Parts: sequence; structure tokens; C-alpha cells
Amino acid sequence: MARHLRGLTTPAARRPASLRPGRFEPATIVWVALIAVLLLLVVAPMVTLLVTSFRSRTTGAFTFANYLQAYGRPRYLEAVANSLMLGLAASGFAVVFAVPTAWAVSRTDMPGKRFTWAMVLGAFVVPPYLGAIGWILLAGPNSGLVNRLWHWVSGEPTSLVDVYSFTGLAFVISLHAFPLIFIFVKSALDLISSEMEDAANILGAGTWIATRKITLPLVWPAIFGGIVLVFLETIALFGTPAIIGIPARINVVTTQLWQFFEFPVQVEVAAAYAMPLLLITMALIGVQKLMLRRRGFVSQTGKGGERRPIALGRWRWPMFAWCALVGALAVVMPLSVLLQASFARAWGRGLSLDNLTLDNYAYLIFRHETALASVWNTLWFSGAAASLAVGIALPIAYIVNRRLVPFGSVLGFIAMAPFVIPGIIMAIGFYAAFSPPPLRLYGTAAIVILAFTARFLPIAYAGAGASILSLNPEMEEAARILGSGRLRTIARITAPLLRKSLLGGWLIVFIVATRELSTAIFLVGPNTRTMAVLLYDLSEAGNFEVLAALGGILLAITMVLVAFGMRLAGRDFMLRRS
Amino acid sequence: MRGITRRSFMAAAALGAAGPAMAQDMTENERALYDAARREGKVTWYQGQIQAEPSEAIGRAFSERYPGVTVDVVRSTSQVAFQRLSQDMRAGVAQCDVLSSTDASHFTFLKREGQLLQYRAKNADGLIEAVRHPDPDGYVQITYLGVYLIARNTQKVSEADAPKSWKDLLDPKWKNQLAIGHPGYSGSIGGFCLLMRRMYGWEYFTALERNKPQIGRSSDDPVTLLNAGERSIGIAVSTGTTLLSKSRGNPLALIYPTEGAEGVPSPSGIPSNAPHPNAAKLFLEFAASPAYFRVTRQFFDISLRPEVPPPEGARPLDQTKLISNTPAELEAGVPEVKEAWRDTFGV
Repeated sequence: MARHLRGLTTPAARRPASLRPGRFEPATIVWVALIAVLLLLVVAPMVTLLVTSFRSRTTGAFTFANYLQAYGRPRYLEAVANSLMLGLAASGFAVVFAVPTAWAVSRTDMPGKRFTWAMVLGAFVVPPYLGAIGWILLAGPNSGLVNRLWHWVSGEPTSLVDVYSFTGLAFVISLHAFPLIFIFVKSALDLISSEMEDAANILGAGTWIATRKITLPLVWPAIFGGIVLVFLETIALFGTPAIIGIPARINVVTTQLWQFFEFPVQVEVAAAYAMPLLLITMALIGVQKLMLRRRGFVSQTGKGGERRPIALGRWRWPMFAWCALVGALAVVMPLSVLLQASFARAWGRGLSLDNLTLDNYAYLIFRHETALASVWNTLWFSGAAASLAVGIALPIAYIVNRRLVPFGSVLGFIAMAPFVIPGIIMAIGFYAAFSPPPLRLYGTAAIVILAFTARFLPIAYAGAGASILSLNPEMEEAARILGSGRLRTIARITAPLLRKSLLGGWLIVFIVATRELSTAIFLVGPNTRTMAVLLYDLSEAGNFEVLAALGGILLAITMVLVAFGMRLAGRDFMLRRS
Repeated sequence: MRGITRRSFMAAAALGAAGPAMAQDMTENERALYDAARREGKVTWYQGQIQAEPSEAIGRAFSERYPGVTVDVVRSTSQVAFQRLSQDMRAGVAQCDVLSSTDASHFTFLKREGQLLQYRAKNADGLIEAVRHPDPDGYVQITYLGVYLIARNTQKVSEADAPKSWKDLLDPKWKNQLAIGHPGYSGSIGGFCLLMRRMYGWEYFTALERNKPQIGRSSDDPVTLLNAGERSIGIAVSTGTTLLSKSRGNPLALIYPTEGAEGVPSPSGIPSNAPHPNAAKLFLEFAASPAYFRVTRQFFDISLRPEVPPPEGARPLDQTKLISNTPAELEAGVPEVKEAWRDTFGV
């Protein structure tokens, strides 16, 4: 990671280099290049969208008609309300799943931390639509395993849980979104030294009060940042609402957008429909900025600090039980039913010897022309997008947080903006901006990779920003006082401190990219199909067995790569405190 | 034409089930197309008619007969396949060689816009009479005749209790037991909505809504739900998918509604900007040949060649009462019923 930094930063003083007369700073070139990249990746598609939203489909003339059409029906407005409520509900569930789990793993002597960590990672790696199908098999009102068990135990004819409901939809979404909060909160908790809690303890506060009054408030920016991400991820999600929401009769923004793209493709109306969402995000990010302005959150300093796990005593096992429950709901239960389906001739017949088969896997590997190609596409698109996103996000986060350019916060906003654009809209922006000449990227791998990069730039940026924010500049200042230039300071001080979080950021982008459906669905061509798109196509084919097998292949490959990555990050972690 | 059939039959007999076509077995037209197709290397097939598994099997059979030409299947529901093609066209990018859809109005539109390549397969003369001439100008070819009817889960609904007609599905006793696809995705469900509206008015669907059917996307989605025991009656599901699923041990049975099953003659055509036009033409020749229907028969789809018998468990076509829409009716009606559906069902 230090390599990125070395190329991107040269001695630049606190004041923007470009403002000082008579001296050319090489850094200026870097800033200009970065701004150009951001303009191309984020601003161009969005401006194209904005312009499109005011353009008549037939004549191309300026018009407000698209907005009238987009918001002219109660059904369309209802979809917006549904999306917002869904975002809130899913964030609520996600906080309940994530915060206690993150606290237990980071701060306590709870047993089974590695298991919990693995479960969280699993929840993150499992694509949401795959989890959704698992939960259809578990919580279908009549056929779901949970409900059948309930009928059998209770004798009641009514069902216990119904996945085809608003709560069911929010619950399933949160099961695969809560790791976003977990990762932020855990890394924030990891940086807090015990002395702050010690101070509270000395003043008479018990563990719970110290946690509530000291620890959690210190990581509030991380929690809130996580909530914002889950909220935005939820309103942008397409696969799960299409799979569960249609049977549940819940129309949301993304499924409504899909309808505008049906023939005749009404990109203009869709663009108009998407604009208010952009305003919501701006508002959310504005609120987040206001809250962070308090500046009381720096917890990693140049001074020494000690971290000791909190002894939970008799609460050790109940705490673990909670983490295990979260893991069971998010990973073990849905994956078990999917695994069973992937080895079944007919999954409805359950576990029996004559129902076992390897044929679903054999079909995909030997008799399917494009399944393996889609696996390869997925992996290299995701890897390329993750490298680009981290490579772009880190220098931006750095110059924004260290105030190296004027209007840096505008850059930060641009880097964060893609998250609000539902992937589908992002895809249409890319489609509109990059398919005409001279670029002509439609149908190529490049357009998918660039769209993934832009779409996940906010994740990389938020991660890089948060870790830079937690670094007190005094460490860099110490180095600079001793005569080191900015380049050398970053290479020797900043980058090593950030290495682990950068690798973490890369992994997160990689994982979410492997499961990304909504951006891909309008941009892939026959030669650039990803597994997510293939899985989505299979999900409407009445063939859950093959779908489950493809899901199994996707998960196996991702798990191997993630395990490999975690080993690297893990080794780093072991060295960190020595 | 008839000669090639006999010859390829003899070749198949000599070589085993499906060997590559020997040069001397090919007609002049076929050989010329194959030579050109081999240079193009592949066919990209936007396929909305039948499921991924039979489509892949067709692709393999094609490549076995014509080594060096592969088939990339892009399977989705028909409306989605057409949506993808429209997107390609708007972007000015040519990716699709053959479009197959269950909504015949897609081809009416493409033909009118000058976006179809004119090619009538020589083999199409050997198709059954009913589908031999779908277009006087030879722009489209029928590659699939979908028959959509009612299916039941035999463990949940006995034959005696089962609904006999489309109308019977409105009986309140089926509340929370029905399942159906979505006209916004599935071409055949759009057609089904038109047929019911013509017979019973839109009130059919407001009444159906009171029975709270579970709505999926593809017309085949209900089969999944029936297999699981989530729902017990599937509305307008295809014979092929249902019988295939039944053959794999799922408790399913077909019901031929008294009003008539929905018959969907489904066309394929070549976009005028197809990147591999010769391979596409060769593919259409193949899709009109008995070899094609021998493959789809294994997946319980109806044969459009007299040489290939109907699949097991399906009624022969001449004994099936079918009701259908014309392409013009589809073109005018499907957009209307999609909107009406969304107003009635909320999604």
C-alpha cells in the first residue's frame, strides 16, 4: 500500500500548493489527475443522468414531464416510502446484530471470538439474494423449514415466521448488511485503549456503565457511519426486493426503476425518479459531517496505551450465545438449506439417499457453456475494481482530511456520492455516459469494472477516511519536525499505520463486488456476465438446485480468497502491538 | 430438404446418437453456412422461451453437429431478453445473434423498425403446418410452442378437488394456495392476462387478487413453489417445466383447463446487426430440424416436427384445445395489462 502513497504525495505544505506563487509543486499534477478521475467515474455519469432527467425521450428537448410522470402516481410514491422505511428497519436490525457482537469481539474475553468473526465474514460474503433464497426455504409460510418445525412442535396450523412480509424483507437484508456496521465499530473499538474505561472504573462506574457512557460514545461516529451505509445499501438493493418483495407485494424504488427500464426503456423517467434519492443522501452525509465536527473522537495517539479485555464473568457464555445466534441466522441456517438443495435432485423432498446427487455441480462445470466463464469474470472484475477503488480513495481521503487542497470537502462528497445512487441507476448513468462514441465501452469488461469501482468508492473512501481520522497528525508532525518530507513521512509513518485497514478496505470492496447484482445487471453483455447476474437469471427459472450449486461454487472460491487475504491481514495484526 | 432429414437420420444411425455432421451429409446451403459460421465461431442466443438447462443442451447438440461453433446462452424471461436487446440497440452495440421470445410482438416491432435480418430457414418447410409460415416475409421462425395450463401439487390437492377451469381458480377455497408469474417479466403471462381479460374482463384479476396468489417473475416460478409445498396450484405454467420437474420426483400433475390451454407460438429471429449472422442462420436451420426437437423433447417440450413424437405425459397438440393471441393483440394489449396488473396487485 505504501507504494500507492509514494507516487501520490510529495512535499506539500498545509496551504494548498497551487495557491503559492512562484513555485511549482509536483503534487499539483497528482491532485489534478485525481480530480479528473473522479470527474470521469462519478460526475460524468451523474451529470448525464441529471441532464437526461430533463430531456424528452422523443425530441430530446428540455422538459419537466419526466418528473411529473415519475411522481405522478401514488404507486410510485409508495415505492419511495417503502424504500425509506425498509432502510430504517434494516438499519435497526443491523445495529442490534452488529454492535453487541463487535463489542464482544473487540473488548471482552468472550469465548469463540474466531468463530464469531468467521460468522460475520460469512454473512458479508454470502450474496444477499442467495441469503434471501435460503430464507425462502427456511421461512416460507407453508414450506419453510422453521415453520414446518413449528407446526410439528406446537401443533398450531399458523406459521411462525413469514419471509414474504415487510419485516421478513428488512430482516433478511439486515442479515447481510450488518457486517458493515460490525467492521466499522470493531475497528474503532480496537483503537480505544483501556485507560479511558479505567478512568471511569476508578470513578466508580461498572463495566456496563463504562461501556455505555465511555466506549460506545467514542465509537459513535463508526456506528453512525455504519448505519448510513446500511441504510443506503438497503435502498439501493435490487436482488432481494425482486426475489422477496414481489411475492410480498412490496414495491420499492429499485424494483420501480426496473419497471421504468422495461420496453420502451424510459431512462429519462428513471433518472427523474432517482434524483430525490440523491437529496436524501446529501442530507444524510451532511448530518454525519455535523456529528463528526465535534472532533472529540481521536483515540489513537502517539502516546502509549494499553488494551485489556474486559472480564465478562458469568456473562461470557450468554454473550457468546448471542453471537452464535446471529451467526446461525445469517450464515449457518441459510447456507445449510442451500447446501442441501445444491446436492438434491428435488430439494422439496428433503434429505434422503436417493435424493442425493452431484449432478447440479456437474451440469454447471461440464455442461454449461458460460457458468465457469462467469466465475472468472466475477473474480477479476472484483479484484480490478477493488484495487482501483482503494488506489483512488486513499489519496483523496488523505488530501481531504489533511486539507491539502482548497474545497477538499467537495472531493470527499463526490467520492461518497455513488453510494446513494442505486446500483441500477449507476448502471444506467454509465450506460448513458460511456456507451456512445468515443468511449464505446458498453459490453466490455471495462465498463463493469469502472462501474464497480465508482459504486464501491464510498466504501473504500469511508474506510480510508475513518482510519486517517483516527491518526493524530502529531505522529506525522513529529517526523516532519525531525526533518522528514511529506513523502517520507507518509511512507514511513502513515502508510504502515494504515496498512491493515487498507487491506481490509480492499477485501471489503472485493467481497461486495463479487456479490454485486444491481450495477452489473444492465451493464454485462453475453461475454461479461458475472455470477451474480447468472444467479439472478437462475432464480426465476424454478431451479433452486442448480442455483444453489452455483452459489456454492461462488462461496467456495470467495472463501478461499478471503481466507488467504485474512492470513495476510492477520499476520499484520499479530505484529502490530510488538 | 426432406433429403437432408433422411440423410442426417442415417448419419445419426451410423454414428450413434449425435455425431458431427459429415461434409457429405450437408446440403449445399448448410455447408456454405457452416463454413462461414466456423469463421465466426459462435452464436449468442438471447433466450426467453425455455429454461437454461434445455437451452444449454441445445447449444451442446448444435456444437456437436457443427464443431467449432459454440452457443452462448443468455437465458432470462422474455421481457428481460427484449429489454437487453433494446439496450444493446440504444447503445449501438451488436451482441445478440438470435433472439427467442414468447412475446411475438417483439418481432412485429423489430421488423417494423427494420431491425431484423430476413432469413427463412430451408428446414422450416418440414415443421408442422400450424407454425410453418408465421411471417409472409420470412423474418421470423417459430422455435417453440408453449402450452400453459394449471398445475397442482398432488399431495395437497386431489384430482377430485382440483380446479377444472381458469374460472374455478377464483373460488375462495383457493385463497393463499395459488401461484403465478408476472406479465412485466414473462411473455406468456402477459398473453395469459389478455386471454382472461377477453373472456372475463379485468374483473377476473380483481377477483384473483382476493385469493392472494403468490406472484413470481417467470411463468415457471410457481413450479418451484409447488415442489416445495409452499403453494398448491400453479397458474399458467408451461407443460415442459412441469413435466420435467415431475419426472425428477416432484409431486406434480397437469390440468388442461376447460376454456382451453394458453397456446403461445414463440418466434425467433436474427437482429439485423447480429455480429455472427452466418452462425445465426445456421442456428435457425438447426432450430427447424428434428435434431433440435429431439433435444427439447427430452425436456418435455412440444415437438414442432412430425418426425419427433410429443413428450411423454403431454397431450398431443391435435387433442389439445388451445386459445391464443395474435401478435397484433399482444402488441396493443400487453402494455395495458402490465399497468392494470400493477394497479391491481401492487407489484
